[in-house]
Amino acid sequence: MSATTQLPATPTPSTPSSRVGGGTPRPPQRLRRGGLRSERPGVRIAAWATVIVCGGFGLLPVYWLLATSLTPRDQVFAYPPRFFPAAPTLDAFASLAANEQLFGYLRNSVIVSVITAVLSVLVSAYMGYSFSKFRYRGRRSLMYLVLASQMFPQALLLVTLYSVFSAYNLLNTYTALVLSFTTFTLPLCVWMLKGFFDTIPDELIEAARVDGASRLRIIHSIVLPLAAPGLIAAGLFAFVRGWNDFVFALTLAGPEKQTLPPGLVNTFIGEASTAWPELMAASLVVSLPVAIAFIALQKYLVGGLTAGAVKG
Amino acid sequence: MTHRDVAMSSSQTHTLEHRKSQTTPRRLSDGQFAVLLLLPGVALLAGVVLYPLIAALVTAFFEQSLVLPGRTFVGLQNVVEVLQGDFLRLLRQTMVFTLGTTILPFVIGFALALALNTRIRGAKVLRGLMLIPWLVPGVVVSFLWMWIFNANYGVMNALLQGLGLVDDPQAWLAQPGTAMGAVILAKTWQSFPWMMVMLLAGLQTVPVELHEAAEMDGAGTVRRFFSITLPHLKGIVGLVVLLEFIWNFQHFDIIYVLTGGGPAGATQTFATAVYETAFQGYDLGKAGALGLLWMVLLMALVVVYVRFSEKGEER
Amino acid sequence: MSTNPLMQSAVSRRRMLQLLGIGAGTAALAACAPSAPAASGGAASAAATGGARTDFAFSSWSFTEEAAAPALEAIVKAYEDHADVTVNDVSFPYNEYINQLTLQVKGGQFTGAAHVDVAWLGSLAAMGKLQDLSALTEGRGYTDAALAAAQFDGVQYGLPWTIGAIGLVTNSALLEKVGVSGDAFPTTIDEFEKTLKDLKGLGGGLIPYAASTKAAQLKDILIWMETFGSPLVDGDTVTIGDDASVEAVTWYKSLYDQKLIAADVDRFDARSLFAQGRAAIYDDAPVGRGAVTEESPDKDLGSKLVPVSRPVLKAGDTPRALVWGGAIAVVDGEGAATAADFAQFATSDLDTVLADYEVRGLPPVTTEAQQSEVVSSDVFGSLFNERITATSSSNPFWAFTAYSQIETEIAEQVQAVLVGKTDPKTAMQQAGEAAQKLIG
Repeated sequence: MSATTQLPATPTPSTPSSRVGGGTPRPPQRLRRGGLRSERPGVRIAAWATVIVCGGFGLLPVYWLLATSLTPRDQVFAYPPRFFPAAPTLDAFASLAANEQLFGYLRNSVIVSVITAVLSVLVSAYMGYSFSKFRYRGRRSLMYLVLASQMFPQALLLVTLYSVFSAYNLLNTYTALVLSFTTFTLPLCVWMLKGFFDTIPDELIEAARVDGASRLRIIHSIVLPLAAPGLIAAGLFAFVRGWNDFVFALTLAGPEKQTLPPGLVNTFIGEASTAWPELMAASLVVSLPVAIAFIALQKYLVGGLTAGAVKG
Repeated sequence: MTHRDVAMSSSQTHTLEHRKSQTTPRRLSDGQFAVLLLLPGVALLAGVVLYPLIAALVTAFFEQSLVLPGRTFVGLQNVVEVLQGDFLRLLRQTMVFTLGTTILPFVIGFALALALNTRIRGAKVLRGLMLIPWLVPGVVVSFLWMWIFNANYGVMNALLQGLGLVDDPQAWLAQPGTAMGAVILAKTWQSFPWMMVMLLAGLQTVPVELHEAAEMDGAGTVRRFFSITLPHLKGIVGLVVLLEFIWNFQHFDIIYVLTGGGPAGATQTFATAVYETAFQGYDLGKAGALGLLWMVLLMALVVVYVRFSEKGEER
Repeated sequence: MSTNPLMQSAVSRRRMLQLLGIGAGTAALAACAPSAPAASGGAASAAATGGARTDFAFSSWSFTEEAAAPALEAIVKAYEDHADVTVNDVSFPYNEYINQLTLQVKGGQFTGAAHVDVAWLGSLAAMGKLQDLSALTEGRGYTDAALAAAQFDGVQYGLPWTIGAIGLVTNSALLEKVGVSGDAFPTTIDEFEKTLKDLKGLGGGLIPYAASTKAAQLKDILIWMETFGSPLVDGDTVTIGDDASVEAVTWYKSLYDQKLIAADVDRFDARSLFAQGRAAIYDDAPVGRGAVTEESPDKDLGSKLVPVSRPVLKAGDTPRALVWGGAIAVVDGEGAATAADFAQFATSDLDTVLADYEVRGLPPVTTEAQQSEVVSSDVFGSLFNERITATSSSNPFWAFTAYSQIETEIAEQVQAVLVGKTDPKTAMQQAGEAAQKLIG
């Protein structure tokens, strides 16, 4: 899984053409950036030492997750534990595959995360565009408010959301989950997309206007295609946040519409809390879709997250 | 208090001036269109964020149960009870958790970013691998560290005993002295990759020419780090630290699943306390009062931050 | 309960509707006299529930437990065949169960049959959505004691299902290593502690007594408080904070400090440790037998399981045990009528109950089932009955609707003592005050 973390071309207004052409971000001028060409041995040693220590911290737990998921259930209670499972087995994965309830959670997770991603991107594209390309009174205050709204504690919002959804008979529905998920996806999506729209030169929009395109048409056929990487990044981001949510689904989804994270907690925290191989196998399976989506689209995601934040 | 302000502080002044001239206000008729574009988002946020927030804060002044109908106005009684009760302990624990899970990932993420920004072999592959912990859902992080820290079969005890650092297996998650540290470590594991990616992206925008010129002038690695790299990263560092702080201040998942706020409330933060008060204690008034104090604190922090960052350019 | 009249009127209204719906004279007669002995299983319940049966939901924590789940699945299957309906399984793990169920019932998302710990009947009943099931109890052979256990405030909010107790379960092979035979388990707390020390001396990381130390099941401490002589509650006055409760917690803390009990253990951890042979004694209901024997690498563990009476303070005292029982309650709403019929079927149909017993081993509640060959020939079950259930008493806090919150307050304080954050006296006084406040 080689990772190329690319930034979208840095939004320097003096070279607007770098963004206009293909609609995909071009790699930055890599040759002149990044690490020094000549490195002293001391730097090299320090770098390796850092990588080994921090890398060990990052990756050993991942190894342990994998190793435990392959350990036969009767060996998992050996102490001290074996760092390499003696007789690796896929039993844990097989017993997961036989668990219909988990598939239900999986289906719910996919449905809810996808709808959340689409809704968030749609709504925040218009909002971000408005913030980026228009100037009006209250714009800045509103922007601040949107950005600040991610500071509002979820646990607190939940107190009311539960009662409101209950009153409108929306508990245990996908609607409740999607609406509650937007509380944390919208602010960052708006921020990311505004950053992307900022890199689209105003001249381009002016030109289209002079040609007689309507304002909506400009958005839909000029701006959005140009911002496609940003839309993908924001959508992916919203998907991942929705996929990972725990507390809203735990409280609002009920048993039928439960998503994977609380579903797993309900499955494995209880008697099965000692079924470590299965729990680790399930953990692995839950993490995979996000990892795959990320690896496939990571250049957009990292670019999107850093757009507007990193300037050359 | 916007991310743009943070970002702006790092950008060069000429860019800023250019942008200003570029984005002069348009004709007024655009205003209505712009507001129209905002409507769906504003309606959504008002419905699912603003209203719930205000309504939750209002319950602070009522005695109200989650499961029984009706409520009675009790004035400041809930707030007073919370202040006399757990508030200071919760505040201290929340701050320990928030600062710990902001500083530790920052240090690790920055160290890794610097290391991977050199030309060491396999940097790209390593960078990809390092992202894994960040992609893992919070509950999975909790499961994994629950298993690692397990008092009876955990690998952490085996490792430390093997190294001779502890004599007996420890119940890391069940001792007040170690539980918070364990929770912070688990959260750090999840967040450091994000810090690493952001800082690495920032590092790659530092012009090599500056380093080369400084090196020719005889500046050492350490000196160049402080006089060139760090000033360049000011904006991105401010941003990641701020965002991480905000997120961790209300973090819930890992604490709730890993320790449930225990042992004896030693890892309870505002987030878990509000949840448990409302959804296990069914005491909405007290949950609202906790939330109210929490928001007041947050606002105070915001004001301090805005004051602090006002030194930067105004847009 | 102020809600009772409302609920009763709801039930009678339903019965009126059923009368109109059925029309047939015999059924109407049966409905008018629900106390008439039933000729065969289902007659009385059919009358009580009216004509067409509908699909309904059934929630239980046992669906999440590997060893117990097959028993429930068999019952559900049997009822589906018997009544030609579909039962929708709903499950939450035991430790999360009452919170999740409360949220679901409160929001109106859950209706139907709910497996409940009899301890929770009060807090569920307070929401005003549980049906009074007294009409379904007649002629089914429920024992009076069992019926009483599934009542709250005198109303039959649940049909008793398995009423037993939680007591000490030992691994006789490990005990014999320190010279304690199955029939000579220490009877006083001092001897008990000495045995624990001997067990600790065996080494090998053995946990002598895997007592609950996680907040989730720290309620187990209450029975030790009673053993030390605290009544817990006297009328409406909480007595926690009295000398006996402080002594009990001080003693528990001393076991903890001597590592005779271990940190970070709840019922499920205890079962796992016991199954692995890492613990010699733990607290459980008979249902734990299936879980520990199935999980254990020792195929003979089943024959080494011996339930023992809880030691007492002074020789001659009556050993204490805490009633632990399951009931099926019916939450008003869609499918409730059939759910009530199911509750009766699951708890009192002889074949069903006996098949359930073979898997879960939890004491049945009808005289017929209790006297059956299957139950009386079960050595472990009989011993458990004789040594533990016989002298069991219910937790006095169950009489209060805020029971879960009271239990949480006490557990938090006991945990604070165990981890050394406070001393037993202060902690128990605070726990007592908090509990008193919740009682009102």
